[in-house]
Amino acid sequence: MRTHEDQWLEEIYRNTLPRVAGMIYRVGGHLEMAKDIFQDAVIIYLEKQQQNKLPAGVPAEAYITGIARILAVRKLKQSGQHIPLDGMEGDIGVPADYYAPPPVAKPVLEYVKAAGKRCLQLLHAFYYDHLSIPEIAAGFNFKTEHSASVQKYKCLEKVREQIKQSDYAETVS
Amino acid sequence: MRKQLAEAQEIEQYLLREMPVSSRLVFQARMLVAPALREKVKYQRKTMQLVRWLAREEKRNELDQLFLRLMQDTAFNNSITSIFK
Repeated sequence: MRTHEDQWLEEIYRNTLPRVAGMIYRVGGHLEMAKDIFQDAVIIYLEKQQQNKLPAGVPAEAYITGIARILAVRKLKQSGQHIPLDGMEGDIGVPADYYAPPPVAKPVLEYVKAAGKRCLQLLHAFYYDHLSIPEIAAGFNFKTEHSASVQKYKCLEKVREQIKQSDYAETVS
Repeated sequence: MRKQLAEAQEIEQYLLREMPVSSRLVFQARMLVAPALREKVKYQRKTMQLVRWLAREEKRNELDQLFLRLMQDTAFNNSITSIFK
């Protein structure tokens, strides 16, 4: 079943991707670049929405196009090209860690993903989706909010130790 | 909550800047004299960064799937590809 977010996303693709693609084309970019930049802008928009950090009165289309413009500027700067920014971008922030490399080495990443899938889902719900403990308790079928909270910290500890052990193993090998 | 979990909770409050300034300063002082605590903070920060990084990767994959599905629609496909011709 399609969720409200699925429908919203489809509309955003239909209404806003052509606009972003036109902007990317004008600065010499290609379709793949337009798609990647647009999608990153959508993800940043959704993150800001979850954190209640969107400026009031700015339509989603305008905000996403604004972020896409900033991302395009950054990408072109890296490749030595330059496009000017216009007024609105000052109100729009790209998270500082957005293009950060993975915080752990690839083998560690694979190990943690395989060993702690449910824990990662739980931590995702809390730290990325910013769900409350009552929402997590309901969504993950915990009997009480207390057990959801305890499980979250157990998971945090478990993944933390997995990263630490893998990091040590990698340093030694 | 057992002691270790209470510590994970305290580190979380520190990393999410949910601690009052006075407690934050005490916590930072404790880290200075306790390498084990410092190490736990380091790996818990990495854990939270990893969760965010994986969540973004997952979202990118979902959006790639949506893009591929929409590109099956001729009208949508033309509205995008015609820009680059």
